[in-house]
Amino acid sequence: MPWFEPTRSARPALLLGGYGLAAALAAAELAILALALNPNVNDDYRAYYIDKTTTCLNRDAVGRYTPGRTVSFRSDGAREATAMMVCGWSGPVADGTHSLGETSRLRLALPSPPGDGLLAVLQMAAVIRPPQLSQRVVISASGIRLKQATLSGPAPTTVSFAIPRAAVPSTGMLEMEFDYPDGIAQSPAASKIYNRSIKLLSFRLDAL
Amino acid sequence: MPPGRVEANLALEHAARANSGIRLMLIAVVAVPLLLALSGLAVRYAAFASVSADPSLAAYVRALCRWDCKWYVDISEQGYERFPIPNRNNIGRWGFFPLYPMLVAAIRSVLPFPTIVIATMASVACGYASCLVAWPLLEKNMRAYVLYCAFLLSGPFSFYFATFLTEPLFVLVTSCLFLALRRSNYLAAGLSCALLSATRLVGVLAVVAIVIRMFEEHRQKGGSAIAFPRWLLSRPDLIIAILISPAGLFAYMLFLHVTVGDGFAFAHVQRAFGRVAGNPLLFVWDGLSYHPNPGWLPTAPQWSAMAAIAGLALAGMLAVRRQYGAALFCALALILPLTTNLASMVRYAVGLAPLTMLAACLLSASRLTFAAAVIALPVACYFMTVAWLGGYLALV
Repeated sequence: MPWFEPTRSARPALLLGGYGLAAALAAAELAILALALNPNVNDDYRAYYIDKTTTCLNRDAVGRYTPGRTVSFRSDGAREATAMMVCGWSGPVADGTHSLGETSRLRLALPSPPGDGLLAVLQMAAVIRPPQLSQRVVISASGIRLKQATLSGPAPTTVSFAIPRAAVPSTGMLEMEFDYPDGIAQSPAASKIYNRSIKLLSFRLDAL
Repeated sequence: MPPGRVEANLALEHAARANSGIRLMLIAVVAVPLLLALSGLAVRYAAFASVSADPSLAAYVRALCRWDCKWYVDISEQGYERFPIPNRNNIGRWGFFPLYPMLVAAIRSVLPFPTIVIATMASVACGYASCLVAWPLLEKNMRAYVLYCAFLLSGPFSFYFATFLTEPLFVLVTSCLFLALRRSNYLAAGLSCALLSATRLVGVLAVVAIVIRMFEEHRQKGGSAIAFPRWLLSRPDLIIAILISPAGLFAYMLFLHVTVGDGFAFAHVQRAFGRVAGNPLLFVWDGLSYHPNPGWLPTAPQWSAMAAIAGLALAGMLAVRRQYGAALFCALALILPLTTNLASMVRYAVGLAPLTMLAACLLSASRLTFAAAVIALPVACYFMTVAWLGGYLALV
């Protein structure tokens, strides 16, 4: 009898051990599956990766900004502009910072909350692909809708609007959201995270 | 001399001749992939030297490391990120499976070389070992063996097996799995599948080949199809083989749950790569019809679509040859990534050992096709290596 063939008396014990090991494996795999089906992640992760309710993955970027200065969002202003970009941007490059996806966000820390609000002056250009020749952009801060602009043609447009005091938290942290209802998809099958809508060329805030 | 002694002498002579024949064959089996690995190195280096200003070997090894290779180098050196991902990055490394980077990291802990050098050596070693394991799988057909070795080690896609990508390990473990199945060693097949599932996600699909082989064995023993589940349940060794098959994947899921909080992070992160679920047929059609510029040369999406079609056609041929397990595994391993887009389709098709072995068998059927392939493979190796170094999109 070969050494590896169990004796008749050992067979039930081996069978039992085999079933026990199989049960342990199945239980471990089911437990891991249950854990995986109940992810323990923060809201930002869930929104971007799991629920897919946003194309803009929030992160802890904060740029310092003092009102009264114009920040270039072209290559020459890369250092300052990049610090303000939270998500939904690509660049900066020579012709500006390109929006990516359905939403982009900027976050900046002001030295102090504005007394009477702020005046924003943004230079933007539409990304167009005939027959689509314009882009709408909806700008909001702290959930307050500030401006809806329609950018037509490839030439830069200056968009200005007031930011009320209520849109800036007492911490002085201003968070601006840009939504693009008319984003251009790379192809019919492409992911929305690659949608193109605008190019931001410059950004300026002034105290009202 | 008495007649009995003459017969004994003749028998000894026959045995000696047979022994020396076996010895020669063994030498050939070992030497053929070695020679082809060296010739592949020479051809790829010549291709590199023709496009690079720095002809050093270190520069050659670095230059071959393109696309996903860089992710594997990072995983091997730094492991996986937690969340939030540092440097305001959207894309964690979670989509790249851990076994091969872990293996390279383990070798690096004892050898004083840079990661990419160790990975290159490990990949070539895996390619060589894959050839040796393929010998019995190719029915000891020397012509098919030579072609298969030439394809892996000095063929048009040999750069995949000479840098830090998962294909070398994937092909090796796939070959071990099918060899174990051929010998009805289900536990070894299950363990191979577990390793495969920790190498690439589609590796876990090899479990279907294991179950199909079990079913075939059950039928060969005269069992009915209806009685198969009962027969399976009466064999705890088979149940263990099946349940251990996805162990690599589950171990990785547990790791991701502990570190990132999401056991499916490897799937969810695909969103950051822009992969969206869709109809594989539409992706193939879109790829085939993408030809925006004049000229007859196929575009990268066209090459990718053709690779998917060729891979699926070869899987169909495996089914015709009654290799149902290998056929289904290969078809699923192509269709699963096809549900997101055509990216990396050439590499995925090339990395399916049963398909390339079948192609080697088909081409070795006649001397003419064998000779043509033996000449064409290293020539194509040169040009495809240049294309790889140039970042040609279809080869990603």
